[in-house]
Amino acid sequence: MNKIVVTILGKDRPGIIASVSKSLYQMDCNLQNVNQMILQNQFAGFFIIDHPTHLTLEVIRQQLEKDLADQKLHIHADIAETKGNDNHETDEEIFLITTIGPDQKGLVSRFTEIIASYNVNVTKLTAIFKGGDEPTANIMSYQVAITPDTNQAGLFKSLRQKALELGLDISIQHKNIFETINKI
Amino acid sequence: MFNAQEIISTIEMVKNEHLDVRAVTLGISLFDCISHDLSVFKKNIRSKIIRNASNLVGMCDEVGEKYGIAVVNKRISISPIALVGAPFSASQMVEIAHTLNDVAREVNIDFLGGFSALVEKGIAPGDRALIDALPEALAQTQRICASVNVASTRSGINMDAVLDISRAIKKAAALSAADDGLACAKLCVFANIPQDMPFMAGAYLGVGEADAVINVGVSGPGVVKKAIERALENSPELDLGQIAEIIKNTACKVTRVGELIGREVAKNLKIRFGVVDLSLAPTPTVGDSIGEIFQALGLTSIGVPGSTAALAMLNDAVKKGGAFASSHVGGLSGAFIPVSEDLNIAEAVAKGYLTIEKLEAMTCVCSVGLDMVPVPGDISEETLAGIIADEMAIGMINNKTTATRIIPVPGKKAGDKVYFGGLLGEATIMNVNHATNKDSFVTRGGRIPAPIHSLKN
Repeated sequence: MNKIVVTILGKDRPGIIASVSKSLYQMDCNLQNVNQMILQNQFAGFFIIDHPTHLTLEVIRQQLEKDLADQKLHIHADIAETKGNDNHETDEEIFLITTIGPDQKGLVSRFTEIIASYNVNVTKLTAIFKGGDEPTANIMSYQVAITPDTNQAGLFKSLRQKALELGLDISIQHKNIFETINKI
Repeated sequence: MFNAQEIISTIEMVKNEHLDVRAVTLGISLFDCISHDLSVFKKNIRSKIIRNASNLVGMCDEVGEKYGIAVVNKRISISPIALVGAPFSASQMVEIAHTLNDVAREVNIDFLGGFSALVEKGIAPGDRALIDALPEALAQTQRICASVNVASTRSGINMDAVLDISRAIKKAAALSAADDGLACAKLCVFANIPQDMPFMAGAYLGVGEADAVINVGVSGPGVVKKAIERALENSPELDLGQIAEIIKNTACKVTRVGELIGREVAKNLKIRFGVVDLSLAPTPTVGDSIGEIFQALGLTSIGVPGSTAALAMLNDAVKKGGAFASSHVGGLSGAFIPVSEDLNIAEAVAKGYLTIEKLEAMTCVCSVGLDMVPVPGDISEETLAGIIADEMAIGMINNKTTATRIIPVPGKKAGDKVYFGGLLGEATIMNVNHATNKDSFVTRGGRIPAPIHSLKN
């Protein structure tokens, strides 16, 4: 059975997850994965659910819109083509590409363009731009999945070259080093 | 995903606080190379070392690149040459040193350790040949490191060996006078030498070790210093117990990094992983100094009253952090205080804060001992032997490793500057009281008996 992914966007406030999960519960849907984040004051939540066979995608979406009508949220629901919880290939190696340096327009675009040109998937991206001269106030960190087919040396060289052009300090390190140091 | 603070602190440790893997040392047993024929022996050791180590440097660079942590030195330790080369004469030992030097160059490593003898209880013919060969072997080669274990807690101090070694040190200094006695910087004299230490100049592969093994030496004095400074900035009222806790936690992180890198290198080379040696080993670079840690702790300089207590706390916290991080911590695992290799310690000597007597006192509570200590060139063999015997006694009685790496600098006196270059650094020659005396105590020879192992109160 296909699962459904529900995406909720809107201004953050207490009770959003409670409202969404209550609505889904009342439809007898089962939450399989939930993830949410807050960017400044904007809420984004992702819910992957199992649903009763008699409920169609459209019915679920309409019911959510009805239940959350007074909350000014954007609701999106679609069929989720998931591969289960383990959606990473086992032979992938995860690297963190971190740039530190002055904020400029188009930074994310320029780096992700390079990453995409090597057919590498960005699995997570954190970007903090507060402006000013404080280096640690302007950070981008891309978590990318390198496969055996990836031209790793070429990718890293291109990224370092771009960072040099843009006056950014770049670090490219396997994720295990961060786990080793921080997750004791 | 890691939060921004975790990412920044990790990058800071690597980029600005000099966290690195100081040495990946490949230990290679040479016992299966033994032959009575010198040419066969040299051929055997060359082929065995190349077979095991040809990919060492490349693999260390590859793994270092992957994790963004530099593996600064790639080195090799071998079985004690005095044992595996026991049939050979002193001149043949010098030939062996040249062969090892050539092989080290061929596999692109800067130092190969194990031109060594274990003589704490007596001197066998192979040991005698090696000790006699030391001056020429060290002066004529660039990449060979030597060590001689002259004492142990179980056996006592072999005073014959102590005197022989002090003569060899003086001769090695004379043979490398043009380089300020540099040959002596490649010779360590030990009590209770560890079999698995990755750091030079004392590294060798013990007789109880595997055929090949990867040992890793991790450093990080800059990381510890920054951790202390950051903590005191945030909480100026921290007491020493709390600071020790911070050092311990930091040492734990640093050890984990070493183990991660070492295990991956070992796995990729299909060689057994041995130990992580977490020793705070400084370099002559600002921000990578043990001496600076003393200042972060609130002392004017290393060497002033309070230094021994501070070092005891530092050494213990490092050991505790390392022991928690890895089940395979070995080598020395503590704090080094090499005079010329640490810019701040060298300055403490130049400014008069640190004397050789205080340095000796401090070695009671830290790993190693009188390390990279330049002394006047006219120091007598007897006085040199006396200094070595004193240091060995500290190790023997306290059941710990101690060592000396003393460099008599030919033609120079206390207060003169000496420059060794690179990681060996530079320093002011330390004053040794009564340096030219020829006291008969050390010439009596024999063995100072091992200490009693009961009645410890």
